[in-house]
Amino acid sequence: VSKADVDRREADANERAAAFMRTITTRRVVRDFSAKPVSHSDLRDVLTAGRWATRGSNSRIHRLLVVEDRQVIRQVRSFSPGMLGVPATLIVICTDPDLAAEAEVQLDRDVTPWIDVGTAAMNMMLAAHAFGLGSCPVTSFSKSAVAVVLKLPSGVVPEFMLQLGHPAAKRQPVARVASVTTLNDLVFWGTYGPLRTGC
Amino acid sequence: VGKRACAVRDDEAWELLAYLIASAELCTTEPHYYGTFRLIEAASRLMGFILANSVASNAWLAEFKSEVDEKKLWMLRDREAYFNFLKEAAAKLADGMTREAKTSEQG
Repeated sequence: VSKADVDRREADANERAAAFMRTITTRRVVRDFSAKPVSHSDLRDVLTAGRWATRGSNSRIHRLLVVEDRQVIRQVRSFSPGMLGVPATLIVICTDPDLAAEAEVQLDRDVTPWIDVGTAAMNMMLAAHAFGLGSCPVTSFSKSAVAVVLKLPSGVVPEFMLQLGHPAAKRQPVARVASVTTLNDLVFWGTYGPLRTGC
Repeated sequence: VGKRACAVRDDEAWELLAYLIASAELCTTEPHYYGTFRLIEAASRLMGFILANSVASNAWLAEFKSEVDEKKLWMLRDREAYFNFLKEAAAKLADGMTREAKTSEQG
């Protein structure tokens, strides 16, 4: 391998990393969506991003339910105070108790499934942003009511919903920021406490 | 406020009912200040229904709803400013309702 090859690979890696960091740092929650549908090509890519998320013990106890029927989305929204807009698509991450039993996951004692929901959700939000779509997580909803609206099988729990769609043309009001958590606020180096500084 | 008919459609009323019941459930687990957010959001939705169904236009209500929709989101980033807005909101509504009542009497 020549030095030129090594340099080119390094440059490619840096470029990919910079693009990835841009995706992370420019993503914002989108609460207002247009009625334009999300293409199934984009949707499949977003779902694929969810599929590739890390998961505890390599277990797959969640299933993703895609909802595109506007009437059903409105019904779900009625029981979802955390859902301010009306997205074109909803992706509902559901826990399947049968799959959990097969994997011997103790849902009442193990928090790992919650982490798995989070990793899948984050992957999908980043992928959505990369495709120019807007997304917004929803955790504030009545699980029992949403399960009824979505006709989920008995025992299947809707844990999390991802609103997905094209951002509305009108600009959302910029939220006031009273304080910003800096990297120094967030990270301690070596010893837990605010007095250390790092790189 | 006058006694003109103010229609809220059946589906809108049911939607608001569902929102309020679901919010009541969430208030058992969410931070206490989220309760205020659920109420101000319910108010926003009700204003939206009133504006969509009223025969007469209502500029001040439309403006108030727009202000609520902008400032309700302060709850996420600047809670003190959000709480101050909530303190002002009731007075603003009272002022608007008083002016609306006068208009109704004259009209």
